[in-house]
Amino acid sequence: MKHKSHFALLFMLPVALASCGQVKGYADHLQDYAVDMDYRDGFTILQLSDIHWSYNTSTPASKRYLEKVIAETDKHVKATGGQIDLVELTGDQFMLANAYHVESFLNFFEEQATKYGFKYAAIWGNHDRHGLYNPNWIADKFRQAAHCFYIEEDDDLYGRSNFVINLKQGNDVKWQIANLDSGASFSETALSPFRDYDYIRKDQTQWWLAEHNLVGDKVPAIAYYHIPQQDNEILWKAVQNGAPNKNKFFKLEGFADNGTERGVSDFIPTAKQHNLKAAFMGHAHNIDWTVEDDDGLVLGLGVKTGPELYYAHILTDDPDPAVKKGLESTGINENFDLIGASLVTFRHQDEDNDGFEDGAFDLEHLYLNERASGDFVKWVNW
Amino acid sequence: MKDLFNKENFLFPGFDKKQRLQSLIVFGLLAILFIFSAFTFVNMLFAFTDAAGSIVSGSIDVALKGLYRSVPLFLSFFMTFWSLLLVHAFFRNVSEKKRMRSLKKNSIAVIAFAGICILFVLIGLITGEYSSIVEGSPSPLFPLDAVLYSIVFLALGLLVLIRGRKFLEKHPYVVPSRGPIVTRARFVYCFFVAIWSLFAVYSFATFFFGLFIIDFIHGYLAFSIALLLVYLLNACFLMAWEFYYNEVKAEKKKDVLLPLAIVGLVISVAIAIFYFVALGLNLDGPSNVGFGVLPIAFAASANIATILTIATPIIVSVTALIKGAVMRKRK
Repeated sequence: MKHKSHFALLFMLPVALASCGQVKGYADHLQDYAVDMDYRDGFTILQLSDIHWSYNTSTPASKRYLEKVIAETDKHVKATGGQIDLVELTGDQFMLANAYHVESFLNFFEEQATKYGFKYAAIWGNHDRHGLYNPNWIADKFRQAAHCFYIEEDDDLYGRSNFVINLKQGNDVKWQIANLDSGASFSETALSPFRDYDYIRKDQTQWWLAEHNLVGDKVPAIAYYHIPQQDNEILWKAVQNGAPNKNKFFKLEGFADNGTERGVSDFIPTAKQHNLKAAFMGHAHNIDWTVEDDDGLVLGLGVKTGPELYYAHILTDDPDPAVKKGLESTGINENFDLIGASLVTFRHQDEDNDGFEDGAFDLEHLYLNERASGDFVKWVNW
Repeated sequence: MKDLFNKENFLFPGFDKKQRLQSLIVFGLLAILFIFSAFTFVNMLFAFTDAAGSIVSGSIDVALKGLYRSVPLFLSFFMTFWSLLLVHAFFRNVSEKKRMRSLKKNSIAVIAFAGICILFVLIGLITGEYSSIVEGSPSPLFPLDAVLYSIVFLALGLLVLIRGRKFLEKHPYVVPSRGPIVTRARFVYCFFVAIWSLFAVYSFATFFFGLFIIDFIHGYLAFSIALLLVYLLNACFLMAWEFYYNEVKAEKKKDVLLPLAIVGLVISVAIAIFYFVALGLNLDGPSNVGFGVLPIAFAASANIATILTIATPIIVSVTALIKGAVMRKRK
């Protein structure tokens, strides 16, 4: 009998440990998830994705590359009288990294933010959890960085970096930027040999709707997260089957989304009913394919930033139809590597004169390759 | 079960003062080198996993570039692990001649790894692979720290190679040998022990780093504790084998092995159950509590590393159980 009770304890103990502690509800403190930023016509967001600093990274070389991307973008936006307002780091800043990488990375971005006058927002990617540091420590580092927007609340909302940036002109919110943590991976069961990629959960969708509701349903929104949801694949298949949706850039591998019935996210289908105009992500390095759905929502992967982990070499004589299609859509006719950055510029447009922005924006992809003979720099409009 | 704690079964209580001192020195050096092996192994594992990720994603050029830069990390592990083998030779060699040969062989290996590491960094500086001697990543002083580490092992290797023989002639090692390793299927035996040792090194480092990097909050407490116990158990198994079972007198092993195997099996099965129940409650636990401790598993989106780590002590226990039962039957 005594032995039986010991055996039962093995099952009870994890249950008891898992259920200890009172967790507060996200709905009770929605205002804690929002930060404000000044808005102006021509507000710019530079998306840097999948930088992947790791044990094998030469950080001086990577910094040099990132500096070139930021300097090139600064020059590009200044030509039209603008500046880089916000940098969105859309996940996988690190993979197999340690505290030294994180501190060097933040020091670098703080220097750049001071030099160019931008703020930056950090979102978790699946690989950011994959380092020799405590996830809470890295969250604190982002919180403490002077120019960094990062909010992580200890409550019942799934994920870490879920927060919104409200772009304000006076007291009016002109745009809302939604940052979501699309997680990492999970097992189907305790005995599953493999893990599935995570997805944006229902409570995250409900949370964003509540945040958006606070500023009003008429305010246009744009979302940034790391792992593509099923919507990209659905649109890709539709386009392959002849759907006339506007689409552009390269798709040279799978989206690496969850791909299962269980992992179907309701975020995009729900959010676009509430004025979500676009969603941009990272994760799959060989893709920067962007598409507009039937309701006018623009969905796309940002250009992978920097040459870490893996990236595509685009060759003009490649017989792969996907490469040919990408080259055709971008008008590039020389070999290059699919690395760089993406830029969104909000354009003032209020056709119905209701005082709210219509949600117009420009999208450009920057391909920047370092070359001994002179760097390859190409901006391509959406 | 009382055989497990019977002092008469062990070699150490029968040692004289000199034997005890020598034995403790060897144990101490082994423990230090095991810890250094564990830390350098984690560096190597991270560099390797990153490169493997590039290879499976089709960017072999990125993998090679990364691996080339991280060669000092690999060499640092090898020079440490070979030093561990060098010290371990004191346990296993029956004859003085064999011990001397082993010392010479292993010290030359340590010198070679350390020398190549120093040369590699120098060449890297000349060719521009490293922009400076303190380029940084993965540590603020990399690759200078790898060079300094190599210099220490180079000096120790040279010391053993040049002065080791004379020193041992003057101060003979008088601790009785644990006896030669098995002669039948020796290669297979050595292979599995080496794999198990690597698992133990990984598990020890994982447990140690896990204390600092696992997120014990955010509702994953049960899973975090289970994960730590899995790795602690695996490291403890090797230590029990090395510092306990191998210290049992040859003629008493048959009395000790069966109860030891039963205790090991009960603990490892209990921890495995605890782990799977905790994982069942937090299916996203591994990726959200600090996946840094499971680099290969995460890179491959597989739970294979943990499953192997859980299975290892069970396999070892079952093997010991069978062996112990056979030994008893022969008795």
